Amino acid sequence: MERRTFITTALAGTACLALGVNYYSSDYVGVNKELDDKHRLLFSVLVPVFLDGALPDVAALKRDAVNRTLDSIEHTISLLPQDSFDELEQLLEMLEGRLGLLILTGSMTPLMMRKQPELIEMLQSWRTSYMDMMVTAYQGLRELVMASYYSSPEHWSRLHYAKPTFLENMK
Amino acid sequence: MAIEDPIVTGLDSGWSHINAAKLTESQTLEADVVIVGSGAGGGVAAEILTEAGLSVIIVEGGQLKSSKDFVMEERVAYPDLYQQAAGMKTTDKAIGIFQGRAVGGSTTVNWTTSIRTPEPALDYWAQAKSVKGLSRIELDPWFEKMEHRLNISKWAYEPNRNNQALKHGCEKLGWQYTVIKRNVLGCWNTGYCGMGCPVNAKQSMLVTTIPAALERGATLVSQAQVIKIEHHNDKIFALKAQAVDKNMKPLPVELMFKAKHYILAAGAIHTPTLMLRSQLPDPYEIIGKRTFLHPTLLSGAVFSDPVNGHSGAPQSIYSDEFVWQNGADGELGFKLEVPPIHPILIASKTLGYGQSHAQLMEKFNQLQVTIALVRDGFHDNSQGGQVKLTDHGFTLDYPLTDAFWRAARRAFASMAELQFAAGAKQVLPISEGMPYLSSWNEAKKTISEMDLAPLKTVVASAHVMGGCPMGEDPKLSMVNSFGESHYFDNLSVMDGSIFPTSLGANPQLSIYGITARNATRLAEKLKVG
Repeated sequence: MERRTFITTALAGTACLALGVNYYSSDYVGVNKELDDKHRLLFSVLVPVFLDGALPDVAALKRDAVNRTLDSIEHTISLLPQDSFDELEQLLEMLEGRLGLLILTGSMTPLMMRKQPELIEMLQSWRTSYMDMMVTAYQGLRELVMASYYSSPEHWSRLHYAKPTFLENMK
Repeated sequence: MAIEDPIVTGLDSGWSHINAAKLTESQTLEADVVIVGSGAGGGVAAEILTEAGLSVIIVEGGQLKSSKDFVMEERVAYPDLYQQAAGMKTTDKAIGIFQGRAVGGSTTVNWTTSIRTPEPALDYWAQAKSVKGLSRIELDPWFEKMEHRLNISKWAYEPNRNNQALKHGCEKLGWQYTVIKRNVLGCWNTGYCGMGCPVNAKQSMLVTTIPAALERGATLVSQAQVIKIEHHNDKIFALKAQAVDKNMKPLPVELMFKAKHYILAAGAIHTPTLMLRSQLPDPYEIIGKRTFLHPTLLSGAVFSDPVNGHSGAPQSIYSDEFVWQNGADGELGFKLEVPPIHPILIASKTLGYGQSHAQLMEKFNQLQVTIALVRDGFHDNSQGGQVKLTDHGFTLDYPLTDAFWRAARRAFASMAELQFAAGAKQVLPISEGMPYLSSWNEAKKTISEMDLAPLKTVVASAHVMGGCPMGEDPKLSMVNSFGESHYFDNLSVMDGSIFPTSLGANPQLSIYGITARNATRLAEKLKVG
């Protein structure tokens, strides 16, 4: 590839390209590909990796849990103060662009095209990186996903945790 | 029968409350005293000043929420009641900070632990920080007054299993421990203090001093963020505020507040931020510097029996075995406590993801967590952090020093020793790379060699102090020992920002007692004036 072509492609890279959505037919996650301005597609790739072992085993329940988590992530992002929002947005846009993906992961292979062990390897390399920027990227995404998943009462059954019911009983 | 909500009842009875987010036009409001912030300092000051017959306006950036809104779910409580939805972090993101943001401030969401200011801290302030008149003998009557006012008394019931482990470990090892005094009245022992008390048992500012002030005619303005102190020579002449939505995003309406006297009580991050943004005189460049946390380490322990750390009074036992062991300015000490265990808190403050994290979460009810709160601000290598302005707000730059990491290693070892003594099957220091440890012998060796570093070791804090210190020497302080500005006749500071160091104890009662003393003096001065 000529250098000029590479730069043009990289800068024109859209979220769909980076995530490999052109090659991926998703009837699994509730995402409108044309209107994915909330990074749902990106998180739909990451959530099952972060929550492997925590998500329900039954496919339909798993799909619902992932979708609830994606909704919750979207809501959490909307609550962030401007500085944190800007930082997160920058990270997510990098992960949705080919050049950013190359910088952050050493590969332009779209995330959606990567297998689970490869995604785990990517998260592990950030987690153990000597660069604070990579570690904070990992931790930021991890906290966002974990907090969003465990915020839903529907996801507490494995914890055997439930809030008290005395208030409901008093109504 | 439903729980009565005293805020709803009060508002129905005609309390003066303005939700700035609902205003359509800018307004100017006047009173004898305007108080910025409605937490431990602002609430106590408001009650005392209105009792003295002064007119008071309380300005709060957060929302007015009350027991009807406290539904015992983290997903509701964190966005509604905490700064940055409980996601606030220091500049390098190495420390997570939990700070309240609603009417009542952090008192609406704290875990009710009430401790008088430790004598070694007061002695150090007198000796090294030019603080006068704040010995324990002088302060004790003020602590008694506030303990009486807020029903602060020793927790008379059995500690929950999480706290019991701390107690049993201390008993086995011969370590000091104390049964905690709590500001509760008719507590239901449910364990949801951190999400706002659903039954109004917690004697927070929301249900005590603020209602008392409103009964006496004070005005509460919520969702108004004070953005500028207008000043000229030695006088403050107005405060400018902006209406904000529930996420603190600015709305078009502005408010002006005018008063004879102004009190800053916005907490140890927002008070210095407001002073910096308003460019108050600061010839010795003190504002925002020496801001302190109690940087806190976490140690998880797996027990074979259910711990159910979400249930029951969240904190009822602490140990001061290691807080002052090396003298005030020696190696950093740490206080041992336990936190309540709820899903988001534990999921986000533990490590890893995927199968290993899921397995940890499956042990949720067998999990005991001990925390070590490191006492900062006394040792030469423990100068705390600095509040700095950013384009959109502030940041707290808080480098963790070698002295802190030495204390952290000792703290992890002490917590593991305690947890094994209490019967833990496994202990997991919450720091990257640490395995589950199966015995105290294994823990001792592994912890002595463990890697400790920012971002690798989980550090959190719920206590913010300093940044606008008190003292008689203007080279060391912004306000005198009564919280009165060195530079303005009509400005006082009444919150945790006036502490010259951290405390080595949970701060709410220190703020209540010292504010009661300082607000009483201010009320006398203003009445004469």
